[in-house]
Amino acid sequence: MAEHQPAPDEERREFREERESLWRITLAPATWAVHFVICYAAAAVVCAKAPDSIGTLRLGIGALTLLALGLIGWLGWRAWVQWDVRTTGDYRNPLGEAEDRHQFLGHAAVLLSVISALGVLYVALPALFIRSCG
Amino acid sequence: MSDRRDMAPEGPYPPTDAMLAEKVPQNVQKRQAEELRAAWAPPKGWRYPTAVNNSEVGLWYALTAFGFMLLAGVLALAMRLQLAVPGNDVLSADRFNQFFTMHGSAMMFLFAVPMFEAIAILILPAFLGGRDMPFPRLSAFGFWCFVIGGTFVMGSLLFNVAPTAGWFMYPPLATQDEGPGSDIWLLGLSFIEIASIAAAVELIVGALKCRPPGMRVNIMPLYAWYVLVVGGMILFAFPPLIAGDFLFELERSFDWPFFDPTRGGDPMLWQHLFWIFGHPEVYIVFLPSIAIAAMVVPTVAQRPIVGYSWIVLSAVGTGFLSFGLWVHHMFTTGLPNISLGFFSAASEAVVIPTGIQLLAFAATLIAGRVRMSLPMLWIAGALAIFTAGGLTGVMIGIAPFDWQVHDTYFIVAHLHYVLFGGMVLPVIGGVYYFYPFIRKKMLSDRLGRWAFWLIFTGVNVTFLPMHLTGLLGMPRRVFTYSDGMGWGWLNLISTVGAFVIAAGFAVFVWDLLRPKGSQPRIARNPWDAGTLEWSHDVPEEYWGARSIPHITSRYPLWDDKGLVERMDAGRYYLPDSPHGHRETLVTSVIDATPELAQRVTGPTWITLWAAAFTGGAFIFPTFHMYPPAIICAAFAIVCIVYWLWTATARPPAHEMRDAGLGLRLPTYASGPKAVGWWAVWITMLGDATAFASVVFGFFFYWTAKADFPPEGAQHAAAGWVALATLALVLSWALTLGAREWNRAGRVAAARAALVAAPVLAAGGAGALILSVLDLTPSAHVYPALMWALMVWVSAHALVGIIMQLYCLAGSFAGKLTPRYDADLWNVTLFWHFLCLTALVAGAVIGLAPRVL
Amino acid sequence: MERRAAHARTPVGRSMEPTERDRDRVLPGARAGSVLLGLSMLAACEGRQSVLAPAGADARVLGDLFMVMLVGAVVLWLSVNGLFFYVTRINPAALSKRFANGLIVGGGLLLPSVVLAGLLGYGLSIMPDQRAPGDGLTLRVRGEQWWWRVEYWPEGADAPIVSANEIRLPVGQRADILLDSARVIHSFWIPALGGKMDMFPGRETRLSLHPEKPGRYRGQCAEFCGTSHALMAFEAVAMPPEAFDAWLRQQEAPAAAPATAQGQRGARIFAREGCGACHTVRGTKARGLVGPDLTHVGSRLSLGAGTLGTTLADYETWIAHTGTVKPEVEMPAYDHLDPADRADLAHYLKALE
Repeated sequence: MAEHQPAPDEERREFREERESLWRITLAPATWAVHFVICYAAAAVVCAKAPDSIGTLRLGIGALTLLALGLIGWLGWRAWVQWDVRTTGDYRNPLGEAEDRHQFLGHAAVLLSVISALGVLYVALPALFIRSCG
Repeated sequence: MSDRRDMAPEGPYPPTDAMLAEKVPQNVQKRQAEELRAAWAPPKGWRYPTAVNNSEVGLWYALTAFGFMLLAGVLALAMRLQLAVPGNDVLSADRFNQFFTMHGSAMMFLFAVPMFEAIAILILPAFLGGRDMPFPRLSAFGFWCFVIGGTFVMGSLLFNVAPTAGWFMYPPLATQDEGPGSDIWLLGLSFIEIASIAAAVELIVGALKCRPPGMRVNIMPLYAWYVLVVGGMILFAFPPLIAGDFLFELERSFDWPFFDPTRGGDPMLWQHLFWIFGHPEVYIVFLPSIAIAAMVVPTVAQRPIVGYSWIVLSAVGTGFLSFGLWVHHMFTTGLPNISLGFFSAASEAVVIPTGIQLLAFAATLIAGRVRMSLPMLWIAGALAIFTAGGLTGVMIGIAPFDWQVHDTYFIVAHLHYVLFGGMVLPVIGGVYYFYPFIRKKMLSDRLGRWAFWLIFTGVNVTFLPMHLTGLLGMPRRVFTYSDGMGWGWLNLISTVGAFVIAAGFAVFVWDLLRPKGSQPRIARNPWDAGTLEWSHDVPEEYWGARSIPHITSRYPLWDDKGLVERMDAGRYYLPDSPHGHRETLVTSVIDATPELAQRVTGPTWITLWAAAFTGGAFIFPTFHMYPPAIICAAFAIVCIVYWLWTATARPPAHEMRDAGLGLRLPTYASGPKAVGWWAVWITMLGDATAFASVVFGFFFYWTAKADFPPEGAQHAAAGWVALATLALVLSWALTLGAREWNRAGRVAAARAALVAAPVLAAGGAGALILSVLDLTPSAHVYPALMWALMVWVSAHALVGIIMQLYCLAGSFAGKLTPRYDADLWNVTLFWHFLCLTALVAGAVIGLAPRVL
Repeated sequence: MERRAAHARTPVGRSMEPTERDRDRVLPGARAGSVLLGLSMLAACEGRQSVLAPAGADARVLGDLFMVMLVGAVVLWLSVNGLFFYVTRINPAALSKRFANGLIVGGGLLLPSVVLAGLLGYGLSIMPDQRAPGDGLTLRVRGEQWWWRVEYWPEGADAPIVSANEIRLPVGQRADILLDSARVIHSFWIPALGGKMDMFPGRETRLSLHPEKPGRYRGQCAEFCGTSHALMAFEAVAMPPEAFDAWLRQQEAPAAAPATAQGQRGARIFAREGCGACHTVRGTKARGLVGPDLTHVGSRLSLGAGTLGTTLADYETWIAHTGTVKPEVEMPAYDHLDPADRADLAHYLKALE
């Protein structure tokens, strides 16, 4: 097993993102969460205070959705690069090496981006189908 | 700052093959084992309750939770008897209502969540090759709180004063309720919720900081991923309920009208806060149980899990999405369709990660050579039941369909399918799987199969017909129904099924408790599993792992054949205890490089006393006995301070410790390297969530109520609010200053700051009280909310003051020095959050009402 | 504690049976011999409160939605569990790894994403119609503990026609139903006509229903509302529009004076016992607003909010044993009345048609 262990200095140079990366995999779902909260809060306030502006609300939700999808897409792309599956061909990253850890976090972040993008799309659907505050 | 040279680990890491191959001399092994055995010996005889070791506390916790589950199950049987035939009178209406309220409350608060905590406390350290949880006394404190609170709440049934308003406690029904029932629920369970948060803190820190060296995040056992996610969920889900309880109890005790529509309040706020907790709660219960399946399935398939990253995605994704579902419990409350739509959408979206999880199990079974075993039978049965519950969940996630079946027996059927399939059966499967790990004996295969088939059949006989009962129009929570509705035969079938389930549990309990003295001990790894817990010692030793291994793969027992032998020989880390201390290894978050040899706490009575007095502080107010409650609270604080003072962050006798394999590790850390700092950080995240929930209340009323704040209402005195905020911010600045000055060796300046800071904090709290003193909180929800914010901030300021004085005392007593300053780091962290709280509260009390 | 002890035993409401035979049944005490009768009632009553026997536009759409989802759920359940059964029992050998990976992507991610998006779209698209505006008639229903205060507001009306514990709606048009509550949360639900809506104190919620088939249905409170939550139901009748109009005119009229001597005696007892402090009988001095309006109580299809039938014996049972029939109900039990008085009072009330 131990022959897989690179020297500490080497790993520090190449896969330095230690501290931020566990947070990074939650950025895409966090984007979903922010999108969700804004949609919900905006709908609650608009329907309570100015129900006639629901058209604007729906347009706003549409724009916000595009923004969120863009952001998730960008996060997903960065994660895809980090995963680097096309070079390595490794879908599992099962080893206790810095490189596998690095690519695994990329892989997990890619998958979470996909789920988050789906979540954002789903949450935008009500704005498409429902035209009034009733 | 915290990684100054004198505190960094020294020596080679990671270990080379040559280092690992070197033999440990027999006499050294023997000496080390004796040292460890002495350090980890559990207390004997009448001192047994002082044990804090995870193997003891976890077991007590699990058995207690299981006991409460059986009691709650008996309540269910009584209810099924009452409903067996139309117009039955086995139970009176009131008693039936007590029973269904307590059945739900106990199953959720006294069984499902505590059971997760119990199992995690019991086995997580073993998955991580560790000795114990990072804060054993905190586990013990949480356990004793749970016992006291649970007994109190369940005991109310004996006196016929149990809560009757449902486990969801909707006001105004629950606020108007006479008698102590609702107070028992609110205070008793708040107390337990705090214990839950304590366990969550413990488990998160355990999974992040107490992994064995080399166990990077990509090779953690999946169970640890789930624990991490669920711990995080508890942290964000329970605080809204605690905030709700806080407002609710203020209404019950002092008539502050948060939920009273005649004085500007709104019962909907409670529903939001309750379900922001309530829905993630379902996943908090489900995920750790499915995590057990994620450990059993690879063993059964005799191969690594297929789609490890996918399961991580599934756990993390579910954790997030589960916070966007709460309104699906409120689809019939008349919210705008578009709002319902968002929650309907999220309710469907959450199905995707859940499905991925199940298909990853299927994929593992496909790719592996399946060796069917009794635990797997339970898991397979669980999946069959859970998928049925999941599919009805997809149906009721569609808002318009829920308009029909909401609050009917269709929902009862759905939720029991989900909970039996997603929690009860996997957990029992886990008991069969892990029993040999815990007790070094096997449970009976024959009895296990009987129990399985009885419970599996019983669940389907009981709950499958309930779908139809609900569709035929039978609402939930009815103590009776008339004979013309066509529900009679369905209910009779359900009742029969309930007793079949009970028979299955009887078999299971017998299997669990029957004497097994004559049975042979198990082989060390009876299931041929690949994860670290099966490196355990047979016969039992209390040290957890003889030495803490260096890990390089997901299934170390499969991949590294010499591992167990080297662990046993003490070849790895912390193989000894030269000073008789209990210690565990603290490693870095992502890559688990060793950082610290952390001393952990041992047996004590103080956690029992602290829990007893905390219990008094929560239980006396139920009967409106406030002076004894305040006395208990004071004693609880004294106990906790004594516990912290005597057992945490003491300057060590030896700066560094030889940890094995040539590695020397520091024995003391402060700031982000210390587990205590992480615990404070995580606790305060939960605390901030609770505070945010109270602030959410302000904006909720503003949105939902046209007259909030009421026209011409008296506002809090802006000058006093500004002064209060300023004083609290200054107190924070002085605390931060004290930390920096102390570290720089300017001890006198630090002490001066620690004298001035509490004075300022007290002044700030006082000013805040003065700012709202002219408002009448019982008159309207607006002044009531201003008072509630004041109470929140003042109570926190009081805690902050105690912390500052604790550091001041530590500085004089030599516990806190420029070199050993963990306490001051932790207190400063608390004050970061308090400063933020004060600023937000100041803005909401002083500014927002004037602006909006 | 006393509050709880006072109603230890509770016989339950017998069902309301729509046939003549039951109406004339002699009660009480028939429970032992009522097994056969119960079986015959099953056929008559079953489905009156059923989601699966829709009689309104909203319930019909939701019934179709359910059938679609049910078929889908059964297919999916069989596929998933069939797969598990196959790999654990029938063919436990190691199979294709490629297939295993494909299963996660295809079966875990792609298929559910598409199916669920379709279902969500279907569900969302039917929501607006379920709350469409009504065609003119408005009902206001207020939840009380444990009964229903009902007002009919035909289009353009200045004052409501007040009733209680029964909902009647014309077939072929959509009626608005505005809901609120006196003290605690209730939920208004007629499964045969459509979904439910909660009733809050201090907040108005709205529902609209469009009956399609004339008939007698049943509604029930669906949100737990206290001790006798189980006994808070009502009869719901969908009528042809002309019949509805005629019925409404009849309900609008004040109560007719009692025609028989027994009825007149009953009216005097009603006045003597102070019933008018809580109940209104329009056209008399009884103006109380605490309890249900009794002006046309005799024309209703149930007593005690869907708890008892409407025979004279049921009236007597209710008057004398309110707290036994419905635990903790606010109306006191008039068990001090001697049997003759009780019979007279029942006779008077039943004649208020």
